Amino acid sequence: MNIIEIKNLQFEYKEYDDAGEVTSTNPVLKGLDLTVPEGQFLAVLGHNGCGKSTLAKHLNGILTATGGTVTVNGMDASDENKLFDIRQTVGMVFQNPDNQLVATVVEEDVAFALENLGVPTEEIRKRVNGALRIVDMYEYREHSPHQLSGGQKQRVAIAGVLAMKPKCIVLDEPTAMLDPKGRAEVMETVKMLNEQGVTIVLITHYMDEACQADRVVVMDDGVIIMDDTPKKIFARVDELKAVSLDVPQVTELMYRLRKHGVGVPADVITEQECADELLKLPHLAKAGITKNAQTRAGSGGSYAAEVKHLTYKYSVGTPFEATAVDDVSVSIEKGQFVGVIGHTGSGKSTLIQHLNGLLKPTSGEILINGRNIWDKDTDIRAVRFMAGLVFQYSEYQLFEDTVYKDIAFGPKNMGLSEAETDARVREAAAAMGLDDELLERSPFDLSGGQKRRAALAGVIAMKPEILILDEPAAGLDPKGRDTVLDEISEYHRNSGTTILLVSHSMEDIVKYAEKILVMNRGRLFCYEDTDTVFSRTRELKQIGLGIPQISRLSHLLKAGGMDIGDDIYTIDRAEERILEILKTNA
Amino acid sequence: MLNDITIGQFFPGNSVIHRMDSRFKIVLEILIVVILFVAQNFWGLGISCAFILMIYAASGISFRLMLKSLKPVLPIIIFTAVLNLLFVKGTDAPLVSFWVINIYEKGIITSAFMLLRIVVLRIAMSLLTYTTSPIVLTDAIESLMKPLKKVKFPVHELAMMMTIALRFIPTLIEETNKIMMAQKARGASLDTGGLIKRARAMVPILIPLFISAFKRANELATAMECRCYRGGEGRTKLRVLKATRLDLYGTGLTLCVLGIVIINNIVFG
Repeated sequence: MNIIEIKNLQFEYKEYDDAGEVTSTNPVLKGLDLTVPEGQFLAVLGHNGCGKSTLAKHLNGILTATGGTVTVNGMDASDENKLFDIRQTVGMVFQNPDNQLVATVVEEDVAFALENLGVPTEEIRKRVNGALRIVDMYEYREHSPHQLSGGQKQRVAIAGVLAMKPKCIVLDEPTAMLDPKGRAEVMETVKMLNEQGVTIVLITHYMDEACQADRVVVMDDGVIIMDDTPKKIFARVDELKAVSLDVPQVTELMYRLRKHGVGVPADVITEQECADELLKLPHLAKAGITKNAQTRAGSGGSYAAEVKHLTYKYSVGTPFEATAVDDVSVSIEKGQFVGVIGHTGSGKSTLIQHLNGLLKPTSGEILINGRNIWDKDTDIRAVRFMAGLVFQYSEYQLFEDTVYKDIAFGPKNMGLSEAETDARVREAAAAMGLDDELLERSPFDLSGGQKRRAALAGVIAMKPEILILDEPAAGLDPKGRDTVLDEISEYHRNSGTTILLVSHSMEDIVKYAEKILVMNRGRLFCYEDTDTVFSRTRELKQIGLGIPQISRLSHLLKAGGMDIGDDIYTIDRAEERILEILKTNA
Repeated sequence: MLNDITIGQFFPGNSVIHRMDSRFKIVLEILIVVILFVAQNFWGLGISCAFILMIYAASGISFRLMLKSLKPVLPIIIFTAVLNLLFVKGTDAPLVSFWVINIYEKGIITSAFMLLRIVVLRIAMSLLTYTTSPIVLTDAIESLMKPLKKVKFPVHELAMMMTIALRFIPTLIEETNKIMMAQKARGASLDTGGLIKRARAMVPILIPLFISAFKRANELATAMECRCYRGGEGRTKLRVLKATRLDLYGTGLTLCVLGIVIINNIVFG
């Protein structure tokens, strides 16, 4: 039986003027058809603005279609009388874990829907406990939401939906704001619910999550353009790239090898399958690949930032005292592109907030350009202009009425002249790929990716010697992510600015960074060039860091007798090595 | 870093005071205020003080916390005491007299009396928030205000607003900190300059904060709708407030103290 049936669904957002007249209509869904059988795990892919979230809101009557029909478990979703039955049948979980929890206590929050439905108290208690046990949050039932991690909050949100005993759960990018651990927790919960028979509709930007689904649909411009199993969908690399989407790394590798005429199948999505296929090739004995690891020389012992025995403690003198950074010493060479990685709570955020003087060390010293920033005669504001820090979700700092003025905020605070400010604003905007005509627009009218780049330009316009970026790509779709990171990388090449890129994503870091700084439990785990760091993958795994799929593939290949080197972390290098082996053995 | 903020200063426990119905606690709290103001002499005040200290001991809340609760109201306490000391005039000759200042015996007594009264009042009030979680307190207020529904007063909506406010205070504090850091990183100076300059420096903090708060409100409203929220009509509760024998004893005891204080007033008045 089909839990969801959508026929020719159309929806348009209307804008009204003060008199209530429609000024413009913006069609979002343009005749979409979709049928979801009960018990299926469906993943929905599509770039930002393709209409995924709008579709989700039609599945439980939050939005009403302007054309076509949506049928949920046999009920017409536009039928006002069945509204609450529909919302009980299809539960929704949203992206921001904070903005969907209502109550100040976990169990109260889980009970919220049941209280609204007028379920008797004893029954509420039973169902709340049951739902909390399913998502493994029972022991946290008396906690406040703000004491929980992002992943835990999302599991509470799922429990709040589960308490209604829904047949289907729609999750709209539930992992976009989570760290790798939180993502894994949520995905595990989702898969477990699906095994128990709950239909899952998962909207996501993460291809590895989509790979775990039974079926994937791809949306573009308000309609569904592809609908198949994950394997078959991802094999269509060209089509996916045309709609700004991504494919798993191993799929991309297969795609490239095929272009070179290597006889491998296209529909490969896991590293195991990929390794099996590659090992099937008439490969030869152990390939004698010499590692062409090139260590880049630092620029002659000149450091952009030096951290000496930095220790930082929170809430000193209270029972909540905790050491966030513990005796860290590291020197960052000028002009380097450094990736900073570590799991949540490893101290990486605390470390970077010291580099521009936002936090004052409990003990230890910070030197920027050779000068101690906490010397009496150092102006701390001048330090902030030298070491520019861009926070996570930096678009939240935008406040001016035009993009131009917002980017000019930093340079103006520096006391620069009008002419110099103007030049810097335009230069920074251009560096971040923002057109001149965008400068006069309100920052709040921009797309998500553009807002992010406008916020980055606001810091770049200060021309800092070190640019520190905390998760600059978080929450963006694959295209937005690549655009932002590419602009940053290009800016690095053109300006020679030292860059510190903080990220949870090893894939992003290895693509751009020359050196990697790994933090673990408040201590410096290592600061080495990327090849050296990757020769220690086993240790990286031990401290809970994910490694790129392509590296995992290289390990599987090695175990199978095909050694392509220990320094594989980009698709480019894997492709190069495999082609080389095939050529030598041809 | 912000996990140590205790909103409403609730300290969980399982004492008789913790176990009392929060509605009774609120009503008895009001009764205690009445007792304190009915008490007209030191005997009456002494009895009420002893009663409140007894409740305090029963709650198991530490003495240190009791003193801590006085800290924010200390200026008011001192101000009132000094005011009474200086301006209450007795009929007899002043005890101390220099320049324009005259201190009378009556002034000292009144001052001490007021001091004690405010201190005890504050302690009694802190006891309510120390032993009752904010959410239970909200439930109690909603329940006590229920009769006002008859005159179309939005009791449920008010309680819901309080709950959401409590829920989002830590989130918004964290957010404010984040935005402040981000603007500081762009060279905003928030704590230098005159009043007007400082007020203007708040603009880059407040605008992003408002925008984000509206966005949160919007998303929360959708999430609430998805979980079948439709106002207070026909709602049930996970936690139901239930009066027990304990609450009857508490009420009886408090009324007794009130009675004693009134009799004391009449006899010694």
